[in-house]
Amino acid sequence: MDKIMEKDTANYKDYTLLSYHHIPGVHNIDVFERAGGYEMMKKWVGAEPETIKEEVKQSGLRGRGGAGFPTGVKWGFFTKDRAAKKYLLCNADESEPGTFKDRFLVEKNPHILIEGMIISAWALGTQKGYIYIRGEFYQQAVILEKALKEAYAKGYLGKNIMGKGFDFDLYVHRGAGAYICGEETGMISSLEGKKGQPKLKPPFPAIKGYRGLPTMVNNVESLAAVPWIMRFGAAEYKKFGTEKSAGTKLFSISGDVNKPGVIEVPLGTTLKEIIEVHCGGMRNGNKLKAVIPGGSSSPVLNADDSYAVKMDYEDVASKGSMLGSGAIVVIDETRNMGDILKYTLEFYHHESCGQCTPCREGTGWMESIFKRRESGKAQKSDIELLDKTAASMRGQTICALADAAAMPTQGMIKFFRPELETYVTTNVNSNKR
Amino acid sequence: MSSHGVEKSHSQGAPFKFTAENLAKYEELLTRYDDVESALLPVLHLVQEQNRWLPTEAIEYVSELMKIPEIKIKEVISFYDMFYDVPVARNMVHVCTNITCSMFGGREIYQGLLKHFDTDYLTPTRDGRISLQKMECLGACEMAPCMRINNDYVGPVDLVAAIQKLEELP
Repeated sequence: MDKIMEKDTANYKDYTLLSYHHIPGVHNIDVFERAGGYEMMKKWVGAEPETIKEEVKQSGLRGRGGAGFPTGVKWGFFTKDRAAKKYLLCNADESEPGTFKDRFLVEKNPHILIEGMIISAWALGTQKGYIYIRGEFYQQAVILEKALKEAYAKGYLGKNIMGKGFDFDLYVHRGAGAYICGEETGMISSLEGKKGQPKLKPPFPAIKGYRGLPTMVNNVESLAAVPWIMRFGAAEYKKFGTEKSAGTKLFSISGDVNKPGVIEVPLGTTLKEIIEVHCGGMRNGNKLKAVIPGGSSSPVLNADDSYAVKMDYEDVASKGSMLGSGAIVVIDETRNMGDILKYTLEFYHHESCGQCTPCREGTGWMESIFKRRESGKAQKSDIELLDKTAASMRGQTICALADAAAMPTQGMIKFFRPELETYVTTNVNSNKR
Repeated sequence: MSSHGVEKSHSQGAPFKFTAENLAKYEELLTRYDDVESALLPVLHLVQEQNRWLPTEAIEYVSELMKIPEIKIKEVISFYDMFYDVPVARNMVHVCTNITCSMFGGREIYQGLLKHFDTDYLTPTRDGRISLQKMECLGACEMAPCMRINNDYVGPVDLVAAIQKLEELP
């Protein structure tokens, strides 16, 4: 993973989120500050909040957790009553299969996130914030705790920050192993000490969130982009990327490439360049078969579309998939798509929170087709059944998990139906489990 | 999660209470939240740091301490993969069986480890050393196939390397 960064160190000015990553020990607050860290917090905390919000809105930054909703617009839904009790919640529950960019960012540079959160908290007028990090990321939670302690010691957090009459407390909150807690209302339920079950929207968390109070939920990568935007301005940020997909994006690439890892490139970079230049090409020189472009919930692209697509929100959507969290899983010709779909469906069945019938039952039915295969009872027509089941689950539930299971299933069937039909009717002894 | 259901809780046959040090940590945790309930997940993590798993006695203790009904605590425990209401060993090993890790043999590693250590999902090995748990995506796909040994990520590993690493555990 580090190798990718080392290679590009000379060009670190091309980065926004990773612009400090070439500096050894930048996870320490003193090193971070010597490199210019916390300067933007010092400049902007105490400044006109609307100016900050407007700059973020103008930058075109879109939520980096997966949905791609404009961050500045989301902030615009938040109450402007600065005295009202409200919360800032950072989504670090990175659990979408294929995604590991936030882990990388937090490990290498926890302070860029904290600085981004303090500026955001000031702009939004929140008095308290939490970084909800998935339970498995224990060491990353420790890194964040240490960084928070350093920031408190400098007077950047707590009461009357830098003498500017602004109070903001920030804590790490660990999850305990549940994908659905990455959904913002599921996360709020979990933070409230409950099962991580999503809530109906509206009301949106910005209006009625944690403990029934206004809560702004933003992804790690979105919040970490704020200091750069406030340093160089929205116009500079928009020079990266495309008109509708502004800025740079972290991509986490895994699977059949020579150099898997995290990269930061402008939105709109071709997937071909990402695979061939940034990831050192296909593993063993194998031929590309398919790519999951935006995490396990994004429909798969076949080889032709993969080599044609530009990695921005619009172009990936035009190919019938989505950019999601920027989790790219590269699949070569040696793989059977039946295996990939089976892993995906087992995941969604396990992670369904159980609230809504179409999701709880639907994910189970879909997985059961692959179970039938193991006992030799699956039929060719089961793929049609799978397609119909997936279609019937869409748009029927409180949160997007049912859709997240249905969309990749239908996408897979669209491109690889004959392969899947052969797969389910081939009785292999289940040594692949 | 849905595939688990609410299981009946197990007794460890001995009372549970926080050590003085952990009681102080508990008090500090409460100061981070605007209500007691929000501290439930961190408190359960703290119990497991002390006791490894969450027996009936610990649930009763936490219920009494935080004034949260036992059934609510059990419900939470059953929902999250990293809370254990059955005894687990002193080393917890997570093996990722999601897409990228499975492409590189994560499932074979998990099955191979179960066989080598003659155990099953979560069941401690006879020497009480290791509990194995297959996990959904651990968020470290660049290390595929990866695993977590206690709190540390390891990967990529093959079955031989995985066995060797686990054999080195105390």
